[in-house]
Amino acid sequence: MRTLPKIALLNCMLLCVLLHASFLKAQSTDIAVAVNLKNPVNGLTMAELRKILSAEKRTWAGGVPVVIIVRSGTSHERQTLLHLLHMSESDYKEYWRAQVFRGEASAEPIAVPSNGMQREALAIYSGGIALVEVQDIKPGMKVLSLDGHLPEMIQPTR
Amino acid sequence: MRSSLTLATTLLLFSVVGNAQTKIPASAANDAETIRELKQEVEDLRQRMEILEAREKQSSNANLPAASAASGQQAAEISAVPSPETANNFHEVHGFQWQGFGEFDYKVLDQKTPELGTEGFVPGSAGGFYTGDLDLLLTSRISEKANFLSEIVVNEGDAQSFNIGLDRILFKYDYDDSLRTSFGRYHTAIGYYSQMFHSGKWLQTTADRPLIMQFADEGGILPTQSVGISFTGEIPSGKLGLNYIAEYGSSDTIRAAIDGSGRLIDENNGNHIDGGLFLRPVTVPGLQIGSSFFHDNISDLERGPSVRLGQTIVNGHVIYVGRGWELLNEGFLVRHAYENIPLIYNMPAFYMQFSKKIGRTRPFFRYQYINANPHSIFSDVSLRKGPSFGARYDFDDSIGFKVQLDHTLRTEKPDLNGIQTQLVFAF
Repeated sequence: MRTLPKIALLNCMLLCVLLHASFLKAQSTDIAVAVNLKNPVNGLTMAELRKILSAEKRTWAGGVPVVIIVRSGTSHERQTLLHLLHMSESDYKEYWRAQVFRGEASAEPIAVPSNGMQREALAIYSGGIALVEVQDIKPGMKVLSLDGHLPEMIQPTR
Repeated sequence: MRSSLTLATTLLLFSVVGNAQTKIPASAANDAETIRELKQEVEDLRQRMEILEAREKQSSNANLPAASAASGQQAAEISAVPSPETANNFHEVHGFQWQGFGEFDYKVLDQKTPELGTEGFVPGSAGGFYTGDLDLLLTSRISEKANFLSEIVVNEGDAQSFNIGLDRILFKYDYDDSLRTSFGRYHTAIGYYSQMFHSGKWLQTTADRPLIMQFADEGGILPTQSVGISFTGEIPSGKLGLNYIAEYGSSDTIRAAIDGSGRLIDENNGNHIDGGLFLRPVTVPGLQIGSSFFHDNISDLERGPSVRLGQTIVNGHVIYVGRGWELLNEGFLVRHAYENIPLIYNMPAFYMQFSKKIGRTRPFFRYQYINANPHSIFSDVSLRKGPSFGARYDFDDSIGFKVQLDHTLRTEKPDLNGIQTQLVFAF
């Protein structure tokens, strides 16, 4: 008799855990590091990625200039970028203003408002690099491994 | 019996949740994906249209010629993707990116005997307004690896006169990360501050530069500007992040004495060599530890028209800029060794500056020290030391306000106390 409420409670708890897990799965999306198809690099370390995104490293192997392509606005990719660099939006803007002023960078990153434009920019600039949500990876982008790991790819449905 | 029922319920619950997770019909998933992609494409097209409309409006306003005759779809794609010059902060005109930095100042100084007035401040007055430097930065991409940079400064002088100067003009060519070259007029790599902070006050936390890093026409003692060649780049060193910088150039420093005597001290500098190494460890982003060496030959015209001396300047610095913190520590040793006279002066100097951004406010503290020999060509400076503290408040990303209190101790002269307020803006 006493075991019934306990088991019912256990059921509720299990249900809550399962629903919460599925909710997180739906909410969190992996971010991939994508480059132009012609880029010979296959992988980066997190430290290298930070150096590239902060313009400390400005050329790829072979001397092709890095062209950073970022999403504007409040996209997930942009938030990830700011998190990676430990900067607020305001800090990021000021950082790039200073980099150009000091001659440490020739220009600020290309800021594009949509995934489609980010994809086209990556295709145009041979040194292009962008952070892209895994679900938005399309043919024509090359995904780099990060610290030896590739992001969990979602298989194309068609 | 009840236990069996409960167990069955549990299993049923698991299976329902499991099905919900895994058995979404494939066609429904495809439809959802298709709808999502179509929505995305519509959104892309809408945003492209906005960009194209804005560009068309800009072109017609500027009476620009019609777009080049690139073919249909390709032209549309290229024009929809911003060029590398497209910026968040910078304006673009005919392939040039530009940005301006301005300031408006009010300073009160309790000096009894007027010293050098800098940036428009009238020495001897209890307090006054001035406009300091108006700084225009222009950059342009010449090719994939070549760039142009110039910094034009309109500086307020005595009696509200204004001078236009070319602070920096550089042709830059980046071969790769191990070799970046610059040709033209630059700020020497004599210290961290000289390379990182130029004429515009916007980037500075404080209202003024540390005296040791001040430009020569405003009383600074170091040859901070030169025309020549500069090389910099990374040295393969793994996580250490070792970098080098090397410069060879010609300075022709004419210092304004800061003691109010009105003297202009022409140093007749010979060509200089300047080299430095600095670490930017990968494990601590924002940390820079480095050292540099500078050498040239200069004149001491007060001792005679042909008196020459070797000037060697050694710098060491430990810098951390990150996570809202700004910790700047630089030390210098300036050594003047006379030719044909057994006379050597070793003159130390340093400054340290700490600040932390808290919300929109950045309180700061700076202590600076220069001990120039009173018999050297820096006799007007002699010993000066003291703290400065204050705060910078940023109203937004383009307008800031600074308040700074200074206390300076001088050898055989009364202490100086000052208050500076500065409105800075980027446009």
